[in-house]
Amino acid sequence: MDKRSRQVIAAILLLIPFVVYFDVPFYNVADPTLGGLPFYYWFQLIMLPVSAVLFLIAAMLIDR
Amino acid sequence: MLVSIAGIVLFLILFVIFVALGFYGSRWRRGNLGQLAEWGIAGRRLGPYVSWFLIGADVFTAYTFVAVPSLAYASGSMAFFAVPYVAIVFAIAMMTMPRLWQVSRNKGYITASDFVKDRFNSRFLSIVLAITGVVATLPYIALQITGMQAVLTIMLQGIASASVESEIALVISFIILAAFTFTSGLRGVTLGSIFKDVLIFLTVIVVIVAVLVSYGGFGHAFSAIAAAKGAAAANYSRLPPESVPAFFTLFLGSALALYLYPHIINGSLASENKKTLRRSLAMLPVYSIGLGFLALFGIIVYAVPNALAIVKSTGNGLLTVPALIVTVLPGWLAGICLLGIFIGGMVPAALMAIASANLLSRNVVKEFVKLSPEGETRLAKWLSAAIKFIALGFVFVAPLTYAIQLQLLGGIIILQLLPAVFLGLYIKKMDWKPLSLGWAAGLISGIWLVLVANHFSSLATSDFHTGLGLLYIGLIALGINLLVSFLGSVLVNAMGARRNGLLKESDLVSEVKARVAGSRVSRR
Repeated sequence: MDKRSRQVIAAILLLIPFVVYFDVPFYNVADPTLGGLPFYYWFQLIMLPVSAVLFLIAAMLIDR
Repeated sequence: MLVSIAGIVLFLILFVIFVALGFYGSRWRRGNLGQLAEWGIAGRRLGPYVSWFLIGADVFTAYTFVAVPSLAYASGSMAFFAVPYVAIVFAIAMMTMPRLWQVSRNKGYITASDFVKDRFNSRFLSIVLAITGVVATLPYIALQITGMQAVLTIMLQGIASASVESEIALVISFIILAAFTFTSGLRGVTLGSIFKDVLIFLTVIVVIVAVLVSYGGFGHAFSAIAAAKGAAAANYSRLPPESVPAFFTLFLGSALALYLYPHIINGSLASENKKTLRRSLAMLPVYSIGLGFLALFGIIVYAVPNALAIVKSTGNGLLTVPALIVTVLPGWLAGICLLGIFIGGMVPAALMAIASANLLSRNVVKEFVKLSPEGETRLAKWLSAAIKFIALGFVFVAPLTYAIQLQLLGGIIILQLLPAVFLGLYIKKMDWKPLSLGWAAGLISGIWLVLVANHFSSLATSDFHTGLGLLYIGLIALGINLLVSFLGSVLVNAMGARRNGLLKESDLVSEVKARVAGSRVSRR
C-alpha cells in the first residue's frame, strides 16, 4: 500500500467510533442487560477497547 | 470516624512517597531546568509508557473522578456523556497533536500560542489566545481542589473542627506541591502521575469487586433505584428521549474542547516523538474504561445503604466515590484509595498551573518585557506557584457552586480557540483579523447564551433551548465563531489583504534539519 491509501484507511478507522457513538438512538435502550447493567451502559463501555484497537491500527498504518 | 488508623497512616506514608517522587523528578532524565523547554515540557523526551500515564493524568482529573459519579448519582444516564467523550477525544487528538508536536519541535514552540503567532504572523491573536487559555483553566484548577476537599471531608468526618483542618491540610499540600513543581517542573509531576494512575486503577478494581461480591451487583443497584426514584428511575436505565440532543452535543463539544486546554497540549508536546505520541493517544481509551466504571459508582452507591446514607445526610453528591471507598473496603485499603483520589487532584492541578504559567510568561509577559531564556523560565516557575494559590484562595472564599459554574463557562470559552489552533494546523489561508473577530463573536455569544439560558441568575445549565431541542452552548458559539472566521477569511482573501504566515507546510509535516535554538535539547 502506498502512503496515501494508508492514510485514508487510518482516517476511516479514526472516524468509526464517531459514527457509532453519534447514533445515540441505537444504544439508548435498557435491554438487553449484561450482569444487571442496561445495554446503554455496557455498549458504550465495550466501544472503548474497540476504539483503542481501531486507533492503534490507524497509528501503525500512519507510522509504517 | 470513617477511616481506620491504619488507613490514615497508609494515606500519609503514600503521600510522602508521592512527594519524594516529585522532588526526585529533577534528577530524572536530567536536563538544564533553567530552560523553559526542560522545566515546562520535560525536554520533549517522554517515552511511550510515560507519555500514556502523563496524558492520562492530564485528561482524567479529580473533577472527573468526583463530579461525573456525582452527576450519575443525581441524574443517572446523562453522566455517561463522559464515555463517548473520552473515546472520540483521542481520535481528535490523533488528527491534531502529532502535527502540532512536529511544528513545535521544528520551531522550538512550547505552547499553542507560539504556533498561532507564527502561523498567522500575529502577536495580537497569540496574546489573546494565551489569556483565553489561562482564564479557562483557572476554574479547572479550582475544581481539582474541590475533589481533594471531598476526600478530606470523608477522612475528617466526625471531627469537630473538620473544616479548619481540611483547609490546613489543603494549604500544606499545596505548599509541598508548589515546591516540587518549582524545583522539578514537568518531570516531577510526570513521576507523580504514574503513581497516581496506578492507585486510581487499583481503586476502580477493588471497589467494583467488593460491591459485586458483597452487595449483589448492578441489578441490585438498579432495583434499589427503582424503589427510591419511582417514575424517574427510567432515566437511570437510558436517556430520556428529549435529552438525546443535549447528550450528543455535550460529548461532541467536550471532546472538541479538551485538546485546546493548555495543560493537555503541554502534555502532548512533552512526548519524545510523533510515533510515541500517536501510540499513547491511541491506547488512551483503555484508560477511559476506568473512568466509565467510576461514573457507574454513582449508580452502585444505591446498592450500598451505608454509603448512600453518607451522601444523603450531607446532601453532597461529590462525596459519592469517597463514601463508597470507606464503606465497602477494609480500612487500610480505603486509605490507599483515598490517597489515589486526593493526588488525582494534585497532579492535574500542577500540570494546569505549569501550562498556564508557560503561556503567561512566554506569550503574554515576554511580548511586552524583554526576558532572557532563564528569566522566562524563572518567571514561569513563580507564576505556576502563584496560580495554584490563587485557585486555592478562590475555593476558600467562594462557595463550591461558583467553581462548578465557572468551569461550565471555561469549556465554552476554551472552544473558541479551535479555529486558530486546530484548523490553523491544516488551513493556511486564514487571516488573523477574521480569526480574532470570530474568537470575539464566539466568546460573546457563548457567554450571552449561558446568561440567557440561566435567566441571568446562578449558572446551572450550559444547554440552550433551540428548534432542535436542548443543545450545548459551547457548540453553538463555536459554530458562530467558525462562520465569522471562514467568511471573513474568504473576504480578506478575495480582497488580497491576507497577511502571510511565517511557516512553511514542510514545518508541519516532517523533521526540518536546521533547528532553531531551544528546539533541540542536549542529551546526556
